[in-house]
Amino acid sequence: MKQFKTIFMFEFANYLKNKIFVGVTAVLVIVLAAVMFFPRVMEALEGGSSPDTERTEEAQDQEISGEKEAPGKESAGELPVMLIFSGDGSGELIKEAFTAAFPEYDIRTADRLEDIKEQISSGGAECAFAFDSLVSYTYYVNNLSLYDNNTYTADEVLQTVYRKNEMISHGMSEEEASGILSIQIEHGTENLGKDQRENFFYTYIMIFALYFVIILYGQMVATNVAAEKSSRAMEVLITSAKPVSMMFGKVLASCLAGFLQLFCIFGSAFLFFALNKSYWGDNMIINSIFNMPLNLLVYMLLFFVLGFFIYAFLFGAVGSTVSKLEDINTAIMPLTIMFVIAFMVVMMSMTSGSVDNMLMVVCSYFPFTSPMAMFTRIAMSTVPWYQIAISVVLLIGAVFGVGVVSAKIYRAGVLLYGTAPKPGALLKSVWKAE
Amino acid sequence: MELELKEIVKSFGGKRVLEGISFTVKSGRAFGLLGRNGAGKTTTIRILMDVFPADSGEIRVDGKTVDYGMIGLGYLPEERGLYPKKKILDQLVYFAELKGMKKADAMKAVRHWLARLGMEEYAGKKLDTLSKGNQQKIQLITALAHDPDIIILDEPFSGLDPVNAMLLKDVVKEEIGRGKIVLFSSHQMNYIEEFCDSIAILKEGKIALCGELHQIKRNYRRDRLIVRSEQAEQIAAGFPADACEVLESGELLIRLSSPEKKQETMQFLTNNYDMDEIKVFEPSLNDIFVEYAGGERQEEKDEAV
Repeated sequence: MKQFKTIFMFEFANYLKNKIFVGVTAVLVIVLAAVMFFPRVMEALEGGSSPDTERTEEAQDQEISGEKEAPGKESAGELPVMLIFSGDGSGELIKEAFTAAFPEYDIRTADRLEDIKEQISSGGAECAFAFDSLVSYTYYVNNLSLYDNNTYTADEVLQTVYRKNEMISHGMSEEEASGILSIQIEHGTENLGKDQRENFFYTYIMIFALYFVIILYGQMVATNVAAEKSSRAMEVLITSAKPVSMMFGKVLASCLAGFLQLFCIFGSAFLFFALNKSYWGDNMIINSIFNMPLNLLVYMLLFFVLGFFIYAFLFGAVGSTVSKLEDINTAIMPLTIMFVIAFMVVMMSMTSGSVDNMLMVVCSYFPFTSPMAMFTRIAMSTVPWYQIAISVVLLIGAVFGVGVVSAKIYRAGVLLYGTAPKPGALLKSVWKAE
Repeated sequence: MELELKEIVKSFGGKRVLEGISFTVKSGRAFGLLGRNGAGKTTTIRILMDVFPADSGEIRVDGKTVDYGMIGLGYLPEERGLYPKKKILDQLVYFAELKGMKKADAMKAVRHWLARLGMEEYAGKKLDTLSKGNQQKIQLITALAHDPDIIILDEPFSGLDPVNAMLLKDVVKEEIGRGKIVLFSSHQMNYIEEFCDSIAILKEGKIALCGELHQIKRNYRRDRLIVRSEQAEQIAAGFPADACEVLESGELLIRLSSPEKKQETMQFLTNNYDMDEIKVFEPSLNDIFVEYAGGERQEEKDEAV
C-alpha cells in the first residue's frame, strides 16, 4: 500500500510538473475566458456603458433585429444588390414581394438578361433572379455560398404570390386570400420526459469531453509505460515494486490528473459564465449548456471514472507489450478504433435524435461502450433506473476484471523485449504464469 | 547471513531455462555468477529478486524460506536506464522510497551516495545530460541507497573509465567489508578474480561448475607444463605432435598423459635441455570459463568433473 502511494504521488507529481499538461490546461482556460467575456468586451468597445438593467433589454433588442440581418453585413452601410428580370411584365409585383422577403438586399429590376450576368461578374450585384413566368426562374450568383437560402425563400414567396393571385382570380377578395394564406397554427408542447433541444448541447459537450479525456489519458498511460520500458527504467522498477501497484498507481494518478484538468476547464467555464451572465442575454446554446442538471454531472463523474479506468488499464497493458516507443501507435490502434466506433455510434444516434435505438441499448450495457452510450441515454432520454443499475454494475465488474487481466499482461509484458508478442500468445503466457 | 538457492527450476513457454540452480553465499563475501549470454544468469537474478516465481525450488535466508519484506535487495541491471528526462535527485529519492524508505531518510541516503561518488553537482540535473559513465554511477545509487543486505551487480564495470572503475572497486570492497552479500555477474574475469571468493558457472540453465575459486584452481588437472627454453623446438619434437602447443608468449605448453607424469617429465627436461623456466600450468579464470561455459571440449569437461 505504501508502494502504491509512493508511485501514485510520483506519477501525479509528474503530471503537475509537465509543462505541456499545465500549458494546455492554462490555454484552454484562457480561451474559455476569451469566449465567455466576448460579449462584454464587444459591448464595452461599442461604447455602451449602460447599467445592467437596461442591458438585458438592449441585448434582446439587438438579438431580434440582428436575427434578420445577414451575417457579416453591417446594417448602416450599403446593402448588396439583388437584380430581378422578368420577361412577362410581372417584375413590379415580384419586386414588391421580394422587398418584404429579402430585407438584407437592395432589390432592383433589370432591363435586359445580358445586364444581369455582366453586373454579377463585375461585382455590381450579388445575385439575380430571371423569371420566365411567376412559377419558373433562374437564379444567378457569382459564388454559391454554403448558406445561400435565397432560392428557398424565393420559392416560398412565389408560391404565396401565385396562390393569392389564383384565389383572387377565382373570385375571392384580396383580404380573404391573405387571411387564408397567413393562417397561424397555435400549439403548445407538454414534455413529460426530456427536451432534446435543450440537452443536446451539453450532452454533446460532455460526450466530447469524455471521449477526449479517456483517449488522451489512455494514450498517455500507454506511452508512459512504453517509455519506462524503452528507457529500461523498467528493469529497476520491476525489481523494486509490484506490477499491480505500478499499474494501479499510474492509472489512478492519470485519472486524478484528467479529472483535475476537467475540473479546471468546466469550473472556469461556469465561473466565467456566472460573471458574464447578463451579457449573454438569452443565447439558447450557452444557456442550455449552463443549465445542465446537477444529477447529470454526478452521472458524468461516475461514467468518467469507470470508463477511464477500463480504458486506462487496457492502454497500460498494451503499452507494456511494446519495447520501442515507435511501436506504441500501432499497438494501441485496435483499442483506439474500438473507442472511436463507440463514439461514432453515440454521436450518430444523438444527431439522429433516436438515442434509444437497438444499437444504443446494446451499447449501453456493453462495458467498453456503456460509459458514453448509457450517459447519452440518461442525458437525452428517460431510462428506467434498473437499466442504469445493470449497466453500472456490469461496468464496475468489467473494470475489476480488466484491471486484474491488465495487471497480469503488464507483469508478463514489461519483461519482454524484441518483437511484441501476438495477443493470443501473450494471453497464453499470462495464464501460464499463474 | 546466508543466502541459499536450492534446485531452482524455471521454464518459459515449455522451454526449460533453469534446470536446478543451487548455490550458497555468506555475508561479507562476494559471489561470481558466470555464464555465456543466454545461460540463465538474468533469469536466476530475477527469480532471486522476486520478479517472477520459480517453477520449483526454494530461496532460503539463514535456513528459512525468504521473506522479501524482511531483507533488502539492491540491483544494478545489465541493461542500464532510469528516467532520462527527470531530475536525478527526484528519481533517486523515488526509487529509494519504492524500496521502503521514508522520504527524509531516502533524501539523506541519496545525498550521501551522491557525495561518495562525487556526483553532488549533478543532483538537480536531468539524467540525460550526463555522460554514460556518470549515468551508470547514478544508477549504482539505486542499488545501494536503501542499504540492502544483498547487492546484485550485473556487469558493474562495463563502460567505466579506470578512475571510476577504481572508485567502484573501493565502494564494492567497502560493502563487502560491511558484511553485505555481493552477487557479481560479469564477463570481465579479472574483476571476478579480484573480488569473488566463490563462483558458479552456468551453462544452458545448469550449474557447470561451482565452488571456491582457489579450490577450483587447485583442483584443476595439474597435467600441463609451461616451458621456456631456447630449445623449444627440439623439446616439442620429443612429444606427440598434438600434446604440444606454442603459446602467444613464445612459451611451450605440454599436455601430459596423466598428472603423475609431471615430476618425471620435469626432471627429464631439466637434465636434457637448457631450460630457462619450467612450471606447472595454473589456469586463469578465463581458461576455466572458456572450458566450462564454452560449447567445445565436452569430453574433457566430463572427465574433469
